[in-house]
Amino acid sequence: MADLQINSESVFNFEQCLKCSVCTVYCPVSAVNPAYPGPKQAGPDGERYRLKNPVFFDENLKKCLNCKRCEVACPQNVKVGDIIQAARMKYSTHKPSLRDRILASTDFVGTMANRFAPIVNMTLAMGLTKSVMHSTIGVDKHRQFPAYSSKRFETWYKRNAKAQQAQYDKQVSYFHGCYVNYNFPKLGQDLVKIMNAVGYGVQLLEKEKCCGVAKIANGLYDQAKKHGNINIESIRKAKEEGRVTLATSSTCCFTIRDEYEHILGLEAADVRESMTLATRFLYHLLDEGKIKLAFRSDYKKRVAYHSACHMERMGWVFYSTELLKMIPGVEFTMLDSQCCGISGTYGFKRENYETSQAIGAGLFKQIKELAPDCVSTDCETCKWQIEMSTGVPVENPICIIADALDVEETIKLNS
Amino acid sequence: MDVKLKNKYDVIVIGGGITGAGTARDCAMRGLSVLLIERFDYAQGATGRNHGLLHSGARYAVTDQESATECIQENMILRKVASHCVEETDGLFITLPEDDLGYQATFVESCQRAGIRADIIDPAEAKILEPSVNPTLIGAVRIPDASIDPFRLTVANVVDARLHGADTLTYHEVTELIIDQTRVVGVKMRDQLTGEMREAYADLTINAAGIWGMLVAKMAGITVNMFPAKGALLIFGHRVNNMVINRCRKPANADILVPDDAVCVIGTTSDRVPIETCDDMKVTDEEVKVLLTEGAQLAPALATTRILRAYAGVRPLVASDNDPSGRSISRGIVTLDHATRDGMEGFVTITGGKMMTYRLMAEMVTDLACKKLGVNKACETATTPLPGSESKKSEETLRTYNFAQKTADGRHGTYTKDIKPADTLESSLVCECEGVSVAEVDYAVNEQNVTNLIDLRRRTRMGMGTCQGQLCACRAAGQLCQGNHAEEAAADLADFVNERWKGMKPVAWGATLNEAQLTAMVYEDLCGLNQFVKEGGKK
Amino acid sequence: MKFDTIIIGGGLSGLTAGLALQKAGKRVAIVSMGQSTLHFNSGSFDLLGYDAQGAAVNNPLEVIATLEDKHPYKKCGDVEALAEEAKALLTEAGVKVNGDAKANHYRITPMGAVKPAWLTINDYATLAQADKLPWKKVALVNVMGYLDFPTKFIAAGLRRLGAEVDVKAFTLPELETARKSPTEMRAANIAKVLGNEDIVKRMATAVNEQTEGGNYDVVLLPAVLGIADSVLSQQLKANVNCQVQFIATLPPSVPGVRVQNLLRKRFIAGGGVHLTGDKATGGVIENGTLKCITTENLTETCLKADNFILASGSFVSGGLTSNYEAVTEAVFGLDVEAADNHGQWVKYNVFEAQPYMEFGVATDQQLHVKKDGKVINNCYAVGSVLSGHNRVKMADGTGVSMLTALQAVKNILK
Repeated sequence: MADLQINSESVFNFEQCLKCSVCTVYCPVSAVNPAYPGPKQAGPDGERYRLKNPVFFDENLKKCLNCKRCEVACPQNVKVGDIIQAARMKYSTHKPSLRDRILASTDFVGTMANRFAPIVNMTLAMGLTKSVMHSTIGVDKHRQFPAYSSKRFETWYKRNAKAQQAQYDKQVSYFHGCYVNYNFPKLGQDLVKIMNAVGYGVQLLEKEKCCGVAKIANGLYDQAKKHGNINIESIRKAKEEGRVTLATSSTCCFTIRDEYEHILGLEAADVRESMTLATRFLYHLLDEGKIKLAFRSDYKKRVAYHSACHMERMGWVFYSTELLKMIPGVEFTMLDSQCCGISGTYGFKRENYETSQAIGAGLFKQIKELAPDCVSTDCETCKWQIEMSTGVPVENPICIIADALDVEETIKLNS
Repeated sequence: MDVKLKNKYDVIVIGGGITGAGTARDCAMRGLSVLLIERFDYAQGATGRNHGLLHSGARYAVTDQESATECIQENMILRKVASHCVEETDGLFITLPEDDLGYQATFVESCQRAGIRADIIDPAEAKILEPSVNPTLIGAVRIPDASIDPFRLTVANVVDARLHGADTLTYHEVTELIIDQTRVVGVKMRDQLTGEMREAYADLTINAAGIWGMLVAKMAGITVNMFPAKGALLIFGHRVNNMVINRCRKPANADILVPDDAVCVIGTTSDRVPIETCDDMKVTDEEVKVLLTEGAQLAPALATTRILRAYAGVRPLVASDNDPSGRSISRGIVTLDHATRDGMEGFVTITGGKMMTYRLMAEMVTDLACKKLGVNKACETATTPLPGSESKKSEETLRTYNFAQKTADGRHGTYTKDIKPADTLESSLVCECEGVSVAEVDYAVNEQNVTNLIDLRRRTRMGMGTCQGQLCACRAAGQLCQGNHAEEAAADLADFVNERWKGMKPVAWGATLNEAQLTAMVYEDLCGLNQFVKEGGKK
Repeated sequence: MKFDTIIIGGGLSGLTAGLALQKAGKRVAIVSMGQSTLHFNSGSFDLLGYDAQGAAVNNPLEVIATLEDKHPYKKCGDVEALAEEAKALLTEAGVKVNGDAKANHYRITPMGAVKPAWLTINDYATLAQADKLPWKKVALVNVMGYLDFPTKFIAAGLRRLGAEVDVKAFTLPELETARKSPTEMRAANIAKVLGNEDIVKRMATAVNEQTEGGNYDVVLLPAVLGIADSVLSQQLKANVNCQVQFIATLPPSVPGVRVQNLLRKRFIAGGGVHLTGDKATGGVIENGTLKCITTENLTETCLKADNFILASGSFVSGGLTSNYEAVTEAVFGLDVEAADNHGQWVKYNVFEAQPYMEFGVATDQQLHVKKDGKVINNCYAVGSVLSGHNRVKMADGTGVSMLTALQAVKNILK
């Protein structure tokens, strides 16, 4: 039979579904919001009928968090989350609202907010502003907006770090993302600190745009594609110049590596392997004995690690947790693997607030009972959600490593 | 559903396939009192085991002009009167490099002569219209093929027959014709569920039992020579194509690919088989191989698409050389008046033909019945819509529906209004693949003569999706289970699982084998369903 | 990246092996593609339920001794000791079970049938003998509108055994909300809705209302409580006025997910590396030794280990795959024992013993796998990926998973 039926898997990925319903056990949304059809119905079941007639598309698919926990759970390798996102992209007639556009424009809003950071932060923190935003544009009033930094990371880098980077033989590029640039430059600074200490120079990409995760989630696909292509080009250029590109945000990293190709259909396969997470890069250098880290003896912290959804999907939780466990002063606990409920801009929307908090309830309870010094996670939006919902500070593993690092000793070990 | 029989009917129709159902409806619409008798369930035989293709007639245009003309006329009629059973997909006749492109001209000319719209289009345009089509095609003709759901069509005819006063019986097998000298006056039948024997009487008995009609005729000592021609088909996991794809060549094996509901079907083969095998046909590996090899010529994606199951039907081909009237039977439709043919009054046989031309067959035999019974009323089935097809919903209305409502609308047309979930429980889905709700199951049970899970499948598509009944069948069995008949209901579930397996077995590799293993783990390992298997369960 | 042992597969057999190796102080990684068949579990574990003739087995140990050589138990040295070890391992992980390898008890299935079992989670309804119920008057209480617990069949099953059964249903506002979804009212989602102490307290009240004055010997409920552990089911028991026991539902299985969660949690807490959702894609074999394996997510490296355990499951789990032409072991293309032609994989009747059920990888007496006829000396196969047994016919699936895993660990540690 020549090449007939020689694949053990159908080329139509959704057909691999055995209807075993395992994915539904791991969907954070369907258990708390009955309006969402659940991963099985929204994904492979719905896909069969959508192929018959697009009228079978259900706008409730927008209630999917795109957490990909269904994909992680699927025993038959069905890309359930991708199927749902692709269907939204193909069939949705829903036009993004002003609110959606604002939330999705993390870079533009960031640029504006940086300039007026103190005013913006104060305004966003004011009860009146919150309730106005709640009722006019539909941003939930319970939300604390992440504070905007008055100095962008890029500005800091150009003024304070750029010149020193050339002295290192080995170089990496850094995709800092909107959060580091506008809200939390310290994370970027911490990465530079660590990389420099182990003998690596850190370069910015020639051009960096928002990874686009919020644009995809809010249906602004054309903008996401445009930005995506700019990022791919920059990462490709860095690759050609021999530099791997690191990210400190699991979601930015995941979006560039997987969503660009799977959802947006961009040609990114050649740069996939040169885009990685900083903790993964460091772990390998350590594992192969190429670098060494020395930690301060006076650093003590009880750290509970939360595995962000996209971290789970990439399968890289291991790298971050192993690094944290290497720090002698860290007392490490692994939190149960569950979604915090924020999913980027999802939880900011008035209509999703309750769902969002209900999803995270189990996680918050566990954190409160454990009462660690800090929670660690690789995702910035998880950070906002957990901090708002538990009051426990949340830190990226890179920040914890940087804080615990004995910089002088580390430089010595690596020179 | 218990039916109290009348003392005497004008007409008894034997066979609940599409021909019998259509005949019962036509007779009832002309004011005759009718009893329709089906030995198992409606559409269980050849009616439910074909492509589900609403032929344009193009396939017959070159070889059989008369059939082609009938087809296109019926095609246009059914689009109107059976709109909820029809999906207007259009079709392509493609020429591949190894085919003779010269045939295309003959084909188009023959189509036009038969009144079938046939537009030669550029192969590049064909690829845009139907992206799954074999990209190496060198010629394409667009014709008005469509897909039609035989189960819905049959049930709609039965429902309308009943609305016009007909009595209908399922699971009643005619065991004997009651003959008074040279006249058939009634039938003896066995209730297959209770074993009870019953009798019914009529002025005229119409044998519309398809290939099994030769056995019915034999009960009157009459020989009708038929050749059962087996045709095997494969169902794929989803709709690879949205237009019917045919091969533009002399009709051959596996040269039609039809999009049916959420799946697509490739077929058929054609082999003469003994009548004894017709009740339980097995698809052979050889047939599967032919269907796959040829199917992949039409749409290469079939080579790598999941196959849900294989099945086979049997065409009732009538042997023309044995026609005692001496006329050659070229049109396919055969009406035998046994009074003139065999000297047996009160008995006629309608056979041959195609699902496609069932309405015409019904009209022809009903005309004959009316003539015999002295009734003077014209046929109206060409213009009166079937129940469910009175109107069609707009896309905007459909868009406001939930999944179950959308799928139900496709199945029941305007009658979807009668499926009213009283509460959230009744909105729950029994079958998730095909969107069958608790309320739809209730509707099928109460309004559509459902006695078991296999009947339910034919009415609703429950268990016809990707998983072939892995959870839905158990949910439906729970719903069908009445009073203290749990053991029978469990046995029925075991039967259903087995029936699903028989179609999966010839194509059990890849995801279909994985699925079978999961189903076995759920039903046998977890549930112990095997403990409820009854010997010689229902079909 | 180097481990003492890498296990491919995170289901019951993989986790069992992982925990046993951890106990011996080994550094272990589990590569787990998707979730396991525990999601279709009955609340019980089987050792051997039926003999070759299909008769229910009373003493599994006795009958195991008489099995054909191809059966995986024949590669497990001291079956009785391994069974004890397996039970202890479950208990240590917080899965409280009752049962004895020398005497099967019986469980009640979601179809109301009775099947032999070796161990049953102690919240779940069991019978000491197949034909004798421990209760006379039974309240079978479903969650209103929950379709995957067919009470008519279960009630009929109980009545066949002489019980007087009343079928009831309860609801709560939170369940009514959940029921608005036409599809997601599934066991695991109900368990999430019933996921805190407050609601379980109200559930107890609702159940009490349904059973008040009925003088029931037992209240039987669908297994929709306690996805994380048995805390909530214990709480429910304390608040219902009558003895409470659970009966398995159709999938997804809450008890199975609970077992999976508890074992996995213990493995991670013990320092094990759990590569969730990652797929082993191949390995480097040199001179009969598996050096390292590649995975889908960890593209940059080949994961090294001294030993490897293949616990990747059968067809449903993706450990075995098939196409028109052949059955293949999915990760390494190991030697499999399977009929050549797909016509021989299947039998006509679905309830016959289907040959494909017994297909699996070929192993030597020490459970070493083979490739191209050559033994790989540091790679062991365990659980459902093994050939030579039909879990559906013999009711031995979970037993084979755990016992072969423990045996492979013994072989590694030797």
